[in-house]
Amino acid sequence: MSDFKALSEAVNKGDTKTALVEAQKALDAGSSAEEILNKGLITAMNEVGDKFSKGLLFVPQMLRSAKTMQECTKLLQPFFQEGDVLSKGKVLIGTVKGDLHDIGKNLVSMMLEGAGFTITDMGVDVSPEKFVEKTREVKPDIIALSALLSTTMPAMAQTIEALQKAGLRDKAKVMIGGAPVTEKYAQQINADSYASDAGSAVNKAKALLGIS
Amino acid sequence: MGRSLPVFKPLTPADVRRIDQTSRQILERIGIRIKDDAILDKLKKAGAQVNHHNQRLRFKEEWLDKLLSRAPSQFTLYSRDEKNDLSLGEGEVHFANGGRVFRILDIANGGYRLTMLRDIARTAMLVNHLEHIRFYVIACQAHDVEPQHYHLNDFCNAFNNTTKHVMGGCDNLEGVRQVWKLASLIAGGEERLREKPFFSVITNPVSPLTIGPNAANILSFCATHGIPVTCASAPIAGATSPATLAGTLAQMHAEALAGVAITQVFSPGAKVLYGAVPATMDLRNIEFAMGSTEMGMMGASAVQLAKLYNLPIRASAGVTEAKRPDIQSGVEKSFSNLMVAMAGADCILLAAGMLDSGNSISYEQYTIDNEIIGMVYRVLSGIRVNKDTLSLDVIEQAGPGGNYVMEEHTVEHMMEEFFYPALSVRCNFDIWEERGRPTMLSRANDLVHNILTEREEVEEGLLDPDLLLEVRKAFPEIRNI
Ligand code: B12
Repeated sequence: MSDFKALSEAVNKGDTKTALVEAQKALDAGSSAEEILNKGLITAMNEVGDKFSKGLLFVPQMLRSAKTMQECTKLLQPFFQEGDVLSKGKVLIGTVKGDLHDIGKNLVSMMLEGAGFTITDMGVDVSPEKFVEKTREVKPDIIALSALLSTTMPAMAQTIEALQKAGLRDKAKVMIGGAPVTEKYAQQINADSYASDAGSAVNKAKALLGIS
Repeated sequence: MGRSLPVFKPLTPADVRRIDQTSRQILERIGIRIKDDAILDKLKKAGAQVNHHNQRLRFKEEWLDKLLSRAPSQFTLYSRDEKNDLSLGEGEVHFANGGRVFRILDIANGGYRLTMLRDIARTAMLVNHLEHIRFYVIACQAHDVEPQHYHLNDFCNAFNNTTKHVMGGCDNLEGVRQVWKLASLIAGGEERLREKPFFSVITNPVSPLTIGPNAANILSFCATHGIPVTCASAPIAGATSPATLAGTLAQMHAEALAGVAITQVFSPGAKVLYGAVPATMDLRNIEFAMGSTEMGMMGASAVQLAKLYNLPIRASAGVTEAKRPDIQSGVEKSFSNLMVAMAGADCILLAAGMLDSGNSISYEQYTIDNEIIGMVYRVLSGIRVNKDTLSLDVIEQAGPGGNYVMEEHTVEHMMEEFFYPALSVRCNFDIWEERGRPTMLSRANDLVHNILTEREEVEEGLLDPDLLLEVRKAFPEIRNI
């Protein structure tokens, strides 16, 4: 059937508009949603990832390609057969109480989203209570906490405690990060994982859920 | 003094006007979000266009100009001994260290560790000793002090170890109030402090275009209590501001002007510095880049933008991503320090002690940066050209084949004509070997050791013992210092 060349090119360029048109065309021409996803979108994203790791693409380009892929996936959503896995998992993310830094957290969200996770971003200065509340509501697979101040790191521990008290700690994995945060600290406060930057956050998140 | 400042202007006058026009459009059309309704009310009463629904403050041109014209174009950052008073707005450039890191490279004790209260005392000692670092910024987080009291402890330790002006970031209104009380006691009363405030406060908007409740309340408190303050815009090009330098400057200028204007609502004539920390992101891998060439260029441009309104500026330079004092730190720091100084910034913060994108400090780096800044000051003082320095008579006297080593003219001029580095290695090869192959870093390490042990052995602290007792009585939260 189709080689999805135009679609792949659009994903490579991060051109969402064209990609959506091409995906629709493919559907109209009788390709299955799964085929479009696997042979079109995912193949294209693999190319993008390849170019990125060779330094040929910069992060903004990769993120735009990922965004394009997501928009196309949304378009395909109604056409998937049962059993087709769409989301890699749900991630609830936020910067902990007392902390307003969100640049790193936003990048982590974007990268996770780009890698196929579904993100609920709670913003900054999020109290342990709010994390608990939202965890009940969203039922995330991973709760990701960011702190950029050494003085707000204890709020990470408090959030984990609050989850524990609410009986939610074993319902989700907790991943933490931010410049002053360390692997050791993650162990100390019984977080499940730590990542030092947005790229490794994606790998760690996949590892936590046992996917590749 | 040789040539007059500024000599480095990355923007043409037309560029400056276009950026300024864009910033004014940002302030009028988009506005600033102020996340505090009480403050918004105050601003509304003072004539601002306020939309409570989206917490947006807009600046009509006339209102903005009226406020900006109230801001002082000159004032002084006082020292406690009056020997290091810093005049702003008169063409002088004053360098300071950078603040509030959480980690220190403690070479003598073998590596990186969390910062403690003693590091504030020691960095203040270093700055007190190091000639070219003209004022002290609270250098790091005192992780051994409980959060409610660290500002008090930080500033008290700073005052006890340097008489130079002390600037620092405070988390919230309560922190500033505590420090103001402490400083009032040390000054001998609120009025004395208001007359010659020897400390000042740094706060920040959150780019893009947002001022949080803490920052707004700190601005209000400082303005009404006569404490010099800066609301330093810190956009990151490509992340929290446009990836273009002009776009980042336009947004930064809007944020910085908003900070200045707001203080003038709270108290007309309030001492405020235009604040600029325009940084960049390496978009290959989204790594923070404060040591970039572009950060220096934007820092210099910020001076041009502040001076369009005759505002004293708190600019930034001398930051690096390097994790140790090394070639990268030397190159990046020198580059930006020189650019921003040559643009004529009144204050240049972050310029000493910092490593690792502003996350770490090192004592050694303080002494190395002191030397870099010394070199910058030498550049600023220029080349004196007059009959005496042109030396025609001396040249005639020495004649072809002669030399100048023992000339009186040489002795007369040698002190002021050259910068004498304390750390650069200038000895010849054999002597270098004899001395155990010293490097700038090993010599920095020796100097740090000398300054700290000398100070710690000889003197107890700079605050008068009687005063110190009074301070302790009034503030039991302050630890023994
Ligand atoms: C930009 C900045 C600000 C901006 C924030 C704007 C914003 N929208 O976020 C502003 C100016 C508002 C700000 C304010 C303050 N700041 Co600030 N800030 C910074 C700065 C310079 C850069 C942070 C940043 O964005 N880095 C770039 C991103 C890409 O990196 P990152 O955040 O580290 O994220 C990466 C990783 O850490 C990781 N990651 C991050 N989060 C997560 C989460 C998970 C789950 C995972 C897996 C990974 C992960 O992945 C990211 C991408 O690779 C840092 C210094 C520094 N070099 O870090 C200081 C710094 C963090 N700030 C500091 C301070 C002190 C403050 C203030 C208190 C200062 C003040 N004026 O009062 C306030 C605090 C406000 C508050 N309550 O939070 C100190 C902290 C010291 C300490 N005790 O820890 C620092 C170190 C600078 C300094 N020396 O003063 N700041």
